[in-house]
Amino acid sequence: MPERFPLSRPQSLALSGASLLLILVATTALGPLIAGSGWWWAGAVVAVAVIGGGAALRAVRTPPSLVPPLELVAMLLALTLLFGGSTSIALVIPTFDTFAVFGELAQGAQRTIEQQSVPAIPVPALVFAITVGVGLIAALLDLLVQTVRVPALAAIPVIVPVLVPGLFIEEGAEAPAIVLTAAVYLLLLRVDVRVRRASELLQEDDRADAPIVSAPHRAPLVSTMGASLGLAAVGLVAASVIAAATPSVSTSFLIGTGGPGTLFARGVSPYVDLGRDLRRPDPVPAFSYVSPDGVRPYFTLLTVERLEGQVWSGTDRAVDGDHTLGSIPTPDGLAADVPAEAKRIAVQVDQVRTAWLPLPYPSTEVDGVDGSWFWDQGTLNVRSVDATTLGQDYRLVHLDIRPEVGQLRAAPPPAPGAVADDTRSLPDDLPPIIPETAAEVTASAATRYDAAVAIQRYLRSSAFEYSESAPVVDGYDGAGFDAIAAFLEQGKGYCVHFASTMAVLAREVGIPSRISIGYTSGTPGDGRVDGEVVIEVDSHDLHAWPELYFEGVGWVPFEPTPGRGSVPDYSRPNAGQDTQGVIPTGPAATPGATGRPDGDPDARLGPGAGARTVAAQWLQVGLIGFGVALILLLPAGVRGAVRAGRRAAVRAGERPAEAAWRELVATAIDLGLPVDGRRTVRTLAADLASRPAFRPADVGDDVGDARVDGAGARASLERLRDAVERERYGRVRGAPASGGDGRAAHVAEHERRSAMQADLGAASDALRADAPPVRRAAAVLLPASLRPSMRSVLGRSAPPGA
Amino acid sequence: MPRSRRARHPARPRLTTRGIALLVLGGVLFGVALWYDLRDILLLAAVGLAMPIAALGYLAVRPPALTVHRTFEPPVVGAGHSASVRLRVRNRSRRAFDGAHWRDLASTALRTPAEAIMPAIGRAEGVLRSGDDEVGLEYRLRTPRRGVFEVGPLRVSVTDPFGLARIARVAGGARELVVTPRITALEPAVGLVASVDGTVHALQRRTHPNSDELIAREYRYGDPLRRVHWAATARRGELMVRDEEQRGDPELRILLDTTLGGRLHHPGAGSARDGADPLDPAFEFGVEVAASLGVHLLARGFRVRVDPIDDPGGVVEPITPEAGGYRAAGGDVALLEDLARLDPPRRDPVRGTAPPVRSVAPTAARRDARMPAIAVIVDPSDAAAETLVALRTSVEPAIAFAAETVSRELVERLEDADWRVLRLRRAADLPAAWQDAWRSARESVRSGGRRGA
Repeated sequence: MPERFPLSRPQSLALSGASLLLILVATTALGPLIAGSGWWWAGAVVAVAVIGGGAALRAVRTPPSLVPPLELVAMLLALTLLFGGSTSIALVIPTFDTFAVFGELAQGAQRTIEQQSVPAIPVPALVFAITVGVGLIAALLDLLVQTVRVPALAAIPVIVPVLVPGLFIEEGAEAPAIVLTAAVYLLLLRVDVRVRRASELLQEDDRADAPIVSAPHRAPLVSTMGASLGLAAVGLVAASVIAAATPSVSTSFLIGTGGPGTLFARGVSPYVDLGRDLRRPDPVPAFSYVSPDGVRPYFTLLTVERLEGQVWSGTDRAVDGDHTLGSIPTPDGLAADVPAEAKRIAVQVDQVRTAWLPLPYPSTEVDGVDGSWFWDQGTLNVRSVDATTLGQDYRLVHLDIRPEVGQLRAAPPPAPGAVADDTRSLPDDLPPIIPETAAEVTASAATRYDAAVAIQRYLRSSAFEYSESAPVVDGYDGAGFDAIAAFLEQGKGYCVHFASTMAVLAREVGIPSRISIGYTSGTPGDGRVDGEVVIEVDSHDLHAWPELYFEGVGWVPFEPTPGRGSVPDYSRPNAGQDTQGVIPTGPAATPGATGRPDGDPDARLGPGAGARTVAAQWLQVGLIGFGVALILLLPAGVRGAVRAGRRAAVRAGERPAEAAWRELVATAIDLGLPVDGRRTVRTLAADLASRPAFRPADVGDDVGDARVDGAGARASLERLRDAVERERYGRVRGAPASGGDGRAAHVAEHERRSAMQADLGAASDALRADAPPVRRAAAVLLPASLRPSMRSVLGRSAPPGA
Repeated sequence: MPRSRRARHPARPRLTTRGIALLVLGGVLFGVALWYDLRDILLLAAVGLAMPIAALGYLAVRPPALTVHRTFEPPVVGAGHSASVRLRVRNRSRRAFDGAHWRDLASTALRTPAEAIMPAIGRAEGVLRSGDDEVGLEYRLRTPRRGVFEVGPLRVSVTDPFGLARIARVAGGARELVVTPRITALEPAVGLVASVDGTVHALQRRTHPNSDELIAREYRYGDPLRRVHWAATARRGELMVRDEEQRGDPELRILLDTTLGGRLHHPGAGSARDGADPLDPAFEFGVEVAASLGVHLLARGFRVRVDPIDDPGGVVEPITPEAGGYRAAGGDVALLEDLARLDPPRRDPVRGTAPPVRSVAPTAARRDARMPAIAVIVDPSDAAAETLVALRTSVEPAIAFAAETVSRELVERLEDADWRVLRLRRAADLPAAWQDAWRSARESVRSGGRRGA
């Protein structure tokens, strides 16, 4: 590789521009993960701050080693601008409070990443995480491209945002975003090649033997572009072909599907996983089943009995090796007089991959599953120690229990040992709203069964609203007593909240309860097997529901979630009467063919939250605009301060004429007049006086009254000039000669100075009147007279050719 | 002297570091994408794999069409000076030519500038050329040593637009650059003409019997009276002399020690080095002395023959390609070029052990037919010395410039044979030695050609 030559400013800027474009385009690959586009703009602000800041630092020839740390500082400022809010000084300077805010946001980000599913709602914490990531990537990118000068390795940081979607959704990033990212990456390479060549070609070789290269007058830009485009197109098309032609090996035999199909893979928090799966935009087919006997039960994966702590999980009892599938017991508490029919169901698992077998409760026989599967005491969950559900094909016999309302009403309190203690216990430190609500709702219930029905009716009433996103936005997603309390207050949630609330309320009134997690009965699909309709179940059918124990009947499912599943007949004691209006729907009324409740998270955001976000966004935009305006006005402000200082010097300073003259010269420089500071005052004044504005007004000046009187301005200029010359070259002014004259001299001096000020004003006005409006605007906004002082501040001379 | 390193790179494109990095990156990503079944990353990985390959293909199927025109300024350059090499590279393709670096290949003895960037060249222009399809390259080539070197061809390494692959091709051909031996200027006043007047005169009369018909010129002070052209004097009414010396054709032989045969007998002696470096200072010194003398004498109007000592007849390997030697106008260039082409003695023992010992029979030439001879001996073999001794009778005057490496016995042997031997330590000694030599030669001529006789 040839040695590296220093880049000129435009070259460095071109590289920065390509880097910025690359990171902006790469960030769009996150699009499928996050709703809306506000997060992208936030990331863009930080990326511009980092890369633009780096470019600006390089433009003023900051030592290269200092640029990356300063870029991180720029990122911090941008983050403060976006998230610091009122804790910052002047919007961008962080304080300790700002860091505290950042810390909270970081924690919130961790939480929200755990809890949310795609497309995630861009809560501030999430946006914060994204912007920090984008900022770090931008800084690394800039380091690689500009400082280390290895743009090929820019692919490493840039691939991160492209890689991330693949971890959460099966399709990964969208193909256009990927192709575009690759194209911009190639653009960056191309820009680097050009810049490298140009810098090499232009570098001054001061060796005596240096070859002399006489290039053509016109560099063939367009014709070389064709080759670049052609090569890039060939490469990208070839890449697409390779990618399309590569067979997918892993789903079949390697290790099974990665993220997408895994359900409760780590068993940490089924609730959160469930919410995430529900919020998945496109349903993943879970399994399908055929029931010759025409039953469509709920399929239970696992059952939560123990409600304690922040994370409720399924039983963590060890698998009992004797509980093989051949010995599934009859369900607990089922008496012989309760009608129960055995129904056959054939299940074919599609893509769901978990250690729990989807089975309706209760099932009495399961055969045909591969691997070692064992049933669990009480819940009859079937789980495996060595296999997953993926691709399983099995038959089962389900006991369809249809208790009558009377049987349920007549159920005695459960005997002490009838069910596991876990299904009755509640912690002592319940949030008060839970017992209060329980007491309130079940006040009029005569029996346990009536209490259960009342709770179900209460949860299905208009006080509660189904929302998959509201808990995420308000931070009470998942399970836990605090989440239930929040849910009871907010009235918004999804099946997890409804189910756990009902379970807790039921325990509060003394009914043993547990929460089952699994699938609703699904929707009939197109296919048929042996004349029977195949019923498809997908990830949108994931559900959680409470099961309550009634002595003599056993565990009975309820359906407190509005709009989901079907309400069992036995839980509607007064069917056809007043409850009809309260209990809204069965499955037929659920919108959409998939049975998914109209769960578009964006729509669920609701007008209130949306308006608040919009207002906040506008506020943010306003603040950013204000900051930009402030930066743009900074030179004008500095110039104004300098001017004020000189005017003060004219009024009271040691050498008033000198200050006045410098101000006049600065004004001329601001206006873009060719003023050479090395020339004498007299020639400068003569130069200025030759401007049209200083000509006497009678020389064909039609609009004389509108302009400054030329002759007067000229006289002012000359007086000013004489004053400067006197001050510079004349005798040193002593103190007033006599004490008696002191006051008079003071007055005279004062008059002299005011006259000088007036002269300065007149001459400056004449100069301004002379300049075109653009110049005048430039003189205010970008005063050229500040440039030399800026250089002296930066401590380096102007680069050659600047 | 090896002619040149003809570095014909195989025209096979290679990946640059960047290309390799991208390929590796793509490979790793490909593996990751396959393992975790990330189709999106698979696409990106395929880009990483496909781009370098596509770049290789691009370079392989698009050879540049360049014509290279190479000139040297000056065309023949002296050792220790420098020549400027001018290249005009013209694009003959209908596509623009971009992304190239150039380096002029040359013999290892020359140092061409490091690889440098070649600006983009526009597409070939048919009529109405604006010159945008041509790039001029110029560099200064230092020529520290005598010899004939091939300069070229031009190596053009082209990269693809993204800098992923690189191919080195050669364009144009090589051209010989003649680097003549270093020349030490000799005092122009010191010449042979006057001193060997008699000999030359006799020679002239013998070779030009009709010299009476030569054009007469007016008498100048110092012209011998016997040269007065009386007929012309009668016609013109003033004293005229025959103007024959100006057109005279004095001849001189330079015998150069080209084999350094003495080394064979004591190989440790001298500054014999390995064959890796063909530069042999002693030999180069001899060539320099011969070149200085030859150029000087040619400028003085001599016809100069240069022969190897071992083979004064020029039978085996004549230094002078054309018989009859070099003549004044242009002869110096030819002489220098031939000396530039002179290869240093081979250190091939097989050839060296059997030098063609040829006893030269003493030719009893007529005294007035004798021509002057100057021998430049560096390290001659005994046989060569004997040849010189045998040659002595046919040459007059006989001067030998002996380098430091010549053994004392040999010098004595030559001096015994009436060679005037002058020791030279370095080239700068030559003018003084030359002056010395000719003073004594003149004296010897005046004294009748016999020293002490």
